[in-house]
Amino acid sequence: MSFYRVNEKCNGCLACVQNCPAAALQYYDQEKTRKILHNMSLCARCGHCRRICPQEAIDFAEMFRGRWDEVAVMELVHCQVCGEPLYTSNVCNSLMKNVDQPVEPLCPNHKKTFPLDVWKRVAAGRNQDAEAGQ
Amino acid sequence: MIVGQQKPFEEILSSLEGYKSILILGCGTCVTVCLTGGEKEAQALARALGRSRADETPPLVVEVNTIERQCERDWIEQFLNVPPDCQAILSLACGAGVQTVADVYQGIPVIPALNTTFLGALDKPGVWNEKCIGCGNCILTHTGGICPIARCAKRLFNGPCGGSSRGKCEISAVIGREVDCAWQQIIERLATLGRLEDYGKLQPLKDWSTETGTGPRSLIHTIEMPTS
Repeated sequence: MSFYRVNEKCNGCLACVQNCPAAALQYYDQEKTRKILHNMSLCARCGHCRRICPQEAIDFAEMFRGRWDEVAVMELVHCQVCGEPLYTSNVCNSLMKNVDQPVEPLCPNHKKTFPLDVWKRVAAGRNQDAEAGQ
Repeated sequence: MIVGQQKPFEEILSSLEGYKSILILGCGTCVTVCLTGGEKEAQALARALGRSRADETPPLVVEVNTIERQCERDWIEQFLNVPPDCQAILSLACGAGVQTVADVYQGIPVIPALNTTFLGALDKPGVWNEKCIGCGNCILTHTGGICPIARCAKRLFNGPCGGSSRGKCEISAVIGREVDCAWQQIIERLATLGRLEDYGKLQPLKDWSTETGTGPRSLIHTIEMPTS
């Protein structure tokens, strides 16, 4: 993805291409068209092209702003008590492989209190059973 | 930014004498930006070398490559492809880059094509000026954001000296280039900031141990690698 923007003032003089110290600008003349290309990976963001452009045709603001590109998407595992996102299922799987047992997805807070919560739930169930039996 | 200047071509030529297969290695960060050691300069150097040694038999083999930063060891190890028959690497990096490449490729001589000159800033297109010497004990708070160590020829802490005239340093006449008096600039900046009283404060002796007192300096962050 390139954030290099050239406005309509560009007249294709190639000052930018000839003066780019990182060789990040290229041009192709094909039949009736001149194309100017920019390589974001090679670009050193030095701004030399912008300073040298006689037409003031290079807009660098977008280069500094950029944009967030999605680079990976994966399934999340949440705390089974409060629903707080914990880690990805990939991490969970490799963790389970390493410890050789199922991993309880719990946030640090509920890791501490989980036995108590379970006890409370069990106790509540018992009370309900007892009430129902009466 | 680190600023480097290319060595005289004759010096580069003589340092490559006897080598028949050379990799010219540009560096994609500081020296690319200051127009002395990037892909463009690497290509230009390859052409110049080719012309100078055009009569040789067998012909000189020159390859050109540029890596984003030569000062990062793992990048050099993982991403730099050195031709198997390469007899010497001509590095266009700063001294840190040259030494990193030399550490990784211990069996191949790594020859500097640049003289690393200073830490500087681009003041106007094409003009980089020294601003910092990396002393490790920054005093810019007291000097209106202008460093008298890097920018005063005498590195004075309480200036200006008698060699300051009309805002210029006396060294200008010697080197044939106008050099601003850093202390004149400091006074003017302090006046602009309304902090001229700072100029009256005598600065204590500087602790230079942060510069060279403990040998080669390091910055060490403990990086915890996640387990998988």
